[in-house]
Amino acid sequence: MRLDGKGLPVIAVSTLTAAGLAGRGLAQRVLEGGHPRPSELAAPAPSRPEDIRQKKLMSRAAWFSALVMRGALEEARWNEARAEIGAFFGVGASGAEMDEVARLIVASMEDGQFSLARCGREGLDACNPLFAFQIMNNFTLCHGAILEGLAGPNAAFFSRGTGTVTALEEACAAITSGACERALVGGADTALHPITMAELEREGFLRQGLTPAEGAAALAITSTAEAPLGYVEAVRVFPVERPRGTLVPRTGVLRDAAVPAALDALEDQPCDVVVLAPWGTPAREALLDLPQVLEAEISVDTSLTLGESLAATPALAWALTLDLLAHLNKPRALVLSAGPDGDLGVVVLAKGGA
Amino acid sequence: MAGRRAVITGVGAVSAFGVGYDALANGLAAGRSAIGPIRNFDARTFPTRVAGEVPIEKTSASLLEKHRGVLLHVGEAAAWEHSGLLRDRKVCFGLIAAAEAWRHARCGTAERKAALSIGLGLEQAFLEDLATALDGDEIRVGAGDLAGPEGVRFRSRVDLTAEKIRGVLGLSGRVAVHVSACAAGGTAVAHAASQIERGAADVVLCGASDSMVNPLGIGGMSRLGAPSPRAEPSACRPFDRRRDGLVVGEGAAMFVVEEESRARARGADLLAVIAGAATTQDAYRATAPRPDGSRALAAMERAVRRANLVPSDIGYVNAHGTGTPLNDMAEAKAIHALFGDVPTSSIKGAVGHLMAAAGAIELAACLLAFTRDLLPGTAHFEEPDPECPIHVIGPQPLKQRVEYVLSNSFGFGGQNVSVVLGRPR
Repeated sequence: MRLDGKGLPVIAVSTLTAAGLAGRGLAQRVLEGGHPRPSELAAPAPSRPEDIRQKKLMSRAAWFSALVMRGALEEARWNEARAEIGAFFGVGASGAEMDEVARLIVASMEDGQFSLARCGREGLDACNPLFAFQIMNNFTLCHGAILEGLAGPNAAFFSRGTGTVTALEEACAAITSGACERALVGGADTALHPITMAELEREGFLRQGLTPAEGAAALAITSTAEAPLGYVEAVRVFPVERPRGTLVPRTGVLRDAAVPAALDALEDQPCDVVVLAPWGTPAREALLDLPQVLEAEISVDTSLTLGESLAATPALAWALTLDLLAHLNKPRALVLSAGPDGDLGVVVLAKGGA
Repeated sequence: MAGRRAVITGVGAVSAFGVGYDALANGLAAGRSAIGPIRNFDARTFPTRVAGEVPIEKTSASLLEKHRGVLLHVGEAAAWEHSGLLRDRKVCFGLIAAAEAWRHARCGTAERKAALSIGLGLEQAFLEDLATALDGDEIRVGAGDLAGPEGVRFRSRVDLTAEKIRGVLGLSGRVAVHVSACAAGGTAVAHAASQIERGAADVVLCGASDSMVNPLGIGGMSRLGAPSPRAEPSACRPFDRRRDGLVVGEGAAMFVVEEESRARARGADLLAVIAGAATTQDAYRATAPRPDGSRALAAMERAVRRANLVPSDIGYVNAHGTGTPLNDMAEAKAIHALFGDVPTSSIKGAVGHLMAAAGAIELAACLLAFTRDLLPGTAHFEEPDPECPIHVIGPQPLKQRVEYVLSNSFGFGGQNVSVVLGRPR
């Protein structure tokens, strides 16, 4: 999708990383080497009464998402007519609290074995009845929407990379089609959940350089703005061919796909900055030559600093890029994410007037 | 993009009525209900013991290959069996429905560029696997506990069904996995239509698949208090005064959706036009729908408007109609406010609530309005509720010709989607 005119204005960003909850400034911390290594976040504790009540129903990623949604709304000063604001998010796997699962399992054991009969009689009763709201994937979007009163168009996309790019594309489509005038778009996830980590290890990602992380980012996008942070000029998802039954394409195939994807998204426009978010070493190698091919002056690999946080990774890369354009006073950047889903997400961002 | 319209050219379905769209269509046309005792696991001690279960006892690769036309590569069937990925029933259901839709639409090599837009439910967690990782009062999971790169143990990945459909059908287009809970199926179809209308795709395979007929799925729903406490086939009574909860169902419905002129040029049969769609969010509570139905009303209003129609153009509403006290009351208020006494039904009494696949199976049911001039009935609806002031079609379908229908799906968490289908010309 290429947006008409200058593109769609982005008027606010909010990020949650190992450096904490912040609006702008992510790029400076990354460039200056001041960003802490990827790790489990010390997310701010809830303070408002409604937050305290609802957090009991939240997965970790849902709380991350709620925080960045609030941060973006505050920075955008979107206090009026929130019922018409859209919300489009890339979300991750179920974030069940393992302690909760353990309580259910312990209460279902009989003679050292799992007993289905006992599970029905006693196991379920040991489980918090509101557990379902922690494990439903869409609640990573819904909790924030509920807390902030965002009642407009919305969609939750499962994401190990391109799902979040699809969320951005759908947010842009909603605004350009007139379904709404304003939208929050982003991603929130954790690759540090025990089962998710085990899956990534089993799938071979960890031994090939994926650095598991967690985080969230949200952008506030609107149909018009006088002095936005930046503009979304183009959003594309490029499927990459791979052998049937394999999770990601071979390095050479990904390399061959990246250049045409980038050029297609740019449509002959010059590109000063390239921001890459490869999931690990093979993807990084595949994208190595891209900045040179595009004759970009500046190249940043977000994964080296921020790690891989699955659904959150592309959104964090966009937030960092908007910062970068302003900080370095460059007109345009291409952001290319290559996540564990194996496909490419390409976003072209332009510097705004803020 | 001006002039582009999305049309449905193929449909496939798996439901409690059986495998195949005809099983669903014939069951609904006969006014039957397919709810029965849970057989997939021993549910005798569970609070909920009935479900809309697909009559497939064991999902397997050989079942797919031999009986449902899902062609696997040499060695793939054995690999799938070994990996355990078909333990998650929705993978099997999704593949079957997708393959049927593909055949129905007579798709060929040219359609392999199709995008995939699919609604999928929660990862299935396997309690018996998690029990083996119990260490005292903690669960400790390591990669070594998982059965190979594609192994499914402890939990199946959300997008596994999408990945397998893409691979088996050889699709080269992009993939979008919608996880908007009970609204996921409707949202996936709406997204497919949107992609076609704006020129992002010419063909999209779309729909949804889900199965929560497993110990944690049934148990989790029971703990929420959503299912009816009555262990009988008539447990789900949408809009009925005696309604007291839903019945969990399982299955899938998939559609081939194409740009209209392209579909006509290749001689495809048009089943329906996707005339419009809209989404809203209740933004109310995690645990309950907005009582006044205002955001559901907004979704319906906007879908009708986006279809360039007025409310009186809608001849039938396929309601979300879960059979729960709160949903049906709120939804009825919204339907009444916008449409007055338009014929309305919910098929959840017949097939159960398919969760993420609910919206998709209900859109498949809506096709009866155009293919057989039948508006599906509402199984087990006997006693009108004054709190639901709408024209509810009784258990038998209504023979009536309509030009446009609207289907609602409202998800846990407040995500709403309404889709308008039109009779193809």
